[in-house]
Amino acid sequence: MKRSLRWRVLLILSLAAVVPTVVVGVLAIMRARHDVENEVKRGSLAHIRALGAALDGTLQGARRTIELAASQWADAPNDARETQLLIKRLRRGVPIVKSVSILDPDGKLLYGDPVPPNVDIGSHSFGGYIGDAIFTNAGTPTVHAVVQARGRTGELMGVVVAALDLGFVHDVIAAARLGPGARVLVVDGTGVPVATSDTTTVSAHSLAGTDPAVDRALASSIEGTLSANGMVSAYRNLSSYQSLRGVRWAIIHQQPEAQAYALARSTTRDTAIIGIAALAIALALGAFFATKLTRPLADLAQRADAIAAGHTTDGAPVKGPGEIGVLAQSVDEMAKRIAERAELAAALARGDRLASVGVMSAQVAHEINNPLTTVLGYAKLLLEDKPEGHPDRTALELIADEAERMKKIIGGLLEYARAPRPSEPATVTATGAAAPGHSDPATVVRHVAALVAPQLKKAHAQLVTDVAEGKSIAIDAHALQQVLVNLLQNAAQALTGGGTITVSAKPAAGGIATQLTIADDGPGIPAADQARVFDPFFTTKAPGTGTGLGLAVVKHLVATAGGSIEVGDGPNGKGAEFRVVIPNA
Amino acid sequence: MRSALLLIALAACGSEHAGPQPIRFLHTFGAEETEMFNALMAERGIAVDASLVPFARGQQVIGEILRAGTACPDLIRIDATWLASLGPFAAVPDNLIGLDWLPESKEMIATSAGNIGNAGAIPETVDGLVVIRDDATPAPASPAIADLIGAARAARHPGRPHPLGLRVDGYWLLPWLRADNIDLGFDSDGQPMIGHDGAARAMQAFASLFGDLAPSPPPAGSEAPDEVRRWLGHELAYWVTGPWQVGALAERDHLAVSALAHAPRGGQLLMVPQCAKRPTEGWKLAAELTSVEVQRAFAERFASVPSRKAALDASPPLVKQLYKALQTAEPLPRSPLTPMLFDDLNPALAAVVAGDATPDEAVAGAARGWSRIAGQRK
Repeated sequence: MKRSLRWRVLLILSLAAVVPTVVVGVLAIMRARHDVENEVKRGSLAHIRALGAALDGTLQGARRTIELAASQWADAPNDARETQLLIKRLRRGVPIVKSVSILDPDGKLLYGDPVPPNVDIGSHSFGGYIGDAIFTNAGTPTVHAVVQARGRTGELMGVVVAALDLGFVHDVIAAARLGPGARVLVVDGTGVPVATSDTTTVSAHSLAGTDPAVDRALASSIEGTLSANGMVSAYRNLSSYQSLRGVRWAIIHQQPEAQAYALARSTTRDTAIIGIAALAIALALGAFFATKLTRPLADLAQRADAIAAGHTTDGAPVKGPGEIGVLAQSVDEMAKRIAERAELAAALARGDRLASVGVMSAQVAHEINNPLTTVLGYAKLLLEDKPEGHPDRTALELIADEAERMKKIIGGLLEYARAPRPSEPATVTATGAAAPGHSDPATVVRHVAALVAPQLKKAHAQLVTDVAEGKSIAIDAHALQQVLVNLLQNAAQALTGGGTITVSAKPAAGGIATQLTIADDGPGIPAADQARVFDPFFTTKAPGTGTGLGLAVVKHLVATAGGSIEVGDGPNGKGAEFRVVIPNA
Repeated sequence: MRSALLLIALAACGSEHAGPQPIRFLHTFGAEETEMFNALMAERGIAVDASLVPFARGQQVIGEILRAGTACPDLIRIDATWLASLGPFAAVPDNLIGLDWLPESKEMIATSAGNIGNAGAIPETVDGLVVIRDDATPAPASPAIADLIGAARAARHPGRPHPLGLRVDGYWLLPWLRADNIDLGFDSDGQPMIGHDGAARAMQAFASLFGDLAPSPPPAGSEAPDEVRRWLGHELAYWVTGPWQVGALAERDHLAVSALAHAPRGGQLLMVPQCAKRPTEGWKLAAELTSVEVQRAFAERFASVPSRKAALDASPPLVKQLYKALQTAEPLPRSPLTPMLFDDLNPALAAVVAGDATPDEAVAGAARGWSRIAGQRK
């Protein structure tokens, strides 16, 4: 039971706390890892956005300068000298400009360098245009910015086409601070690397179809991330930048997963270890507290088993916190009540047996009493006829004495056997202190004290009473009077050399009865006799001085009232003490 | 316990779960429209890989993407004037053609056929120029330009010296040109209409409004935010603009709409390019974007004028006013050259407004540009 209860508590703890904690913890760890991985991706994206913005800024600056030059040329399109100077200043002022061409609106070259035939100048379009990379003979990636040149009236006078050297892209990327194993590359619309951050030489070989990140980047219109082939890639299509509208270039950040997610994985591992340790501690604490919590319950169960087996007084009282403590007190109280009831039941059983003996004895005594009266009467008549000194007189006197003694015994037996008579007006009832079947112990004690005063005086015994007024107990006043008279007479007889007799009353355990205590400081009753003093015909008095029925009658009366009586040593082990417990009315 | 393990298993594999292949969508929505579009698609469980193309350079960028063909989208949202120049496209499925389109939408569908014989696009929204005013401001006596100018003059006072909102743009110039029977294109002799008599006069009349009734133009690129700022500051009494800018206003309860004679009308089309890898998926997304629920949501949030009757019926009163005003507007010529003509018209107009050129000089230059474009196309 004890083991079962503890394990059940542990099981409940596990189900109610540990399992949800584990589930939530695992989910939280996975979520955290997912978030950290996303942060890595976001970080990579932010990085390439910044790099892209840097490229964009450079290209925008170049384009603005070209636009200014185009506007300036459109104001005087036929001035060849000014145009040549303008082209010279443009080359000098914008370092990434490799060549400048000025064409008329139909695409015919007017000034500057020839334009490669595969450059779509887009003169029909709204504004500037930058086409895909065109590789020159030297292998340097180049784009062509096409800017409309409109005159004062807004009329299109021509277009300025500037070839921009993208070597600066490589410089920007190479200067970027990258994580371990990471690289950044820019590919053109066909997947050809334009620039990379590593030492790899830019080549004209397309990575399309070989690198999933390149394929995804070229297929996307904006940006995204990808995990493939053990690499984490973040990409952004450069068409999203102001200066590169319409260009399908992409900038890609790549890093091996092992390095990219190193923080996420170590965080996951550390969190898992800490979580498992915390869980183990929580479980150990749970087991400790479960044991502590269930121990009083187990003790209570053991106590209940003992009570069920009849051992109501076995074991120490169980103590526990809160409701368990209250329950333990209730169990203790219950055990006491059960013990009291068992004792009362046993007493009642004994009372029944004694009552049977009493009835039989009464019948016998009644049958004997009549012939005995005859015997005694004739013995006394014969004695009256015999003068003093007659030889028969001694025998007759002996017959009369013994017959007298036998009558006393029979009288006692009849008294013992007489049933209580609640309807019989009790002495105290006349005082109005108690109802029939109930009595006020204080009143009865006072009355009895008056009755036994001569015997007490003869025995030089002093009576001390300590009985509170106003109590009502469930015993007929006549019966209680007889009980007290018998007990006080016995005490007086015991005090051959004088002494003190105390009669006191107090609430019995549980508060449902009153205990009357009659104690003396006489020689007391030997322990061996204490168990037998209530048996009929048992007496410790000198032969001929007691019938041995007094205490039996007392016990019978008390038991009939539903009470109990026990004898023991007096206070401080001196004298005898009778404790009579009568239920309260 | 089982469910917990299932949760763990799901969490373990969820992040790498490969869902359905998203529909590739190029669009010209604004930032807030994009946000709403993404939310609506997420609600409907439609996976879309959407890319925003800035409207100002949309035709060029989309044209380049389609020419490259390597990242061909499944659906594109474009301005109605771009369609003719964007190359081959897929025919609209019959189930979409049969929807309850507004008359203006039907017209756009019909003119989208081009040379393939079948409709090539469906409209997602109808737009064009209208006159916006506060409902406490009296409406112009009629849609005529003269009445608009008269009303603006009447609304002018020292605290509001420039009550008319106009933009230096060929699109805004069109009502003035059309008042003189000049449109964006060429006459029956193949001559550019911008060279006709009256073009310079119209340009002069339009340009003279700036600094008089209309505020001086802001730096290029900042026109839209400048107009919104002036409207919110109650500097304008009559604002010539389109639904796309009305949608940017948070407070629209007291707006009223008036028509402007000869105003251009257009719309935004949904088309599936011929190079699309999954045209069926593209049309499914188009069906979602033209569904009553989505169009109504856009109408409520952005004052977009729906292209379908049921969606318009379910739209706020302001949107219905916008539509009513647009009914008298006139569509732009559906020609591949149309967008390119603005390329020459806009700088010419800007030069006149700035005082860099006379109207005659500007008109002559624009006419040469239009002729060149026509010649190049031939």
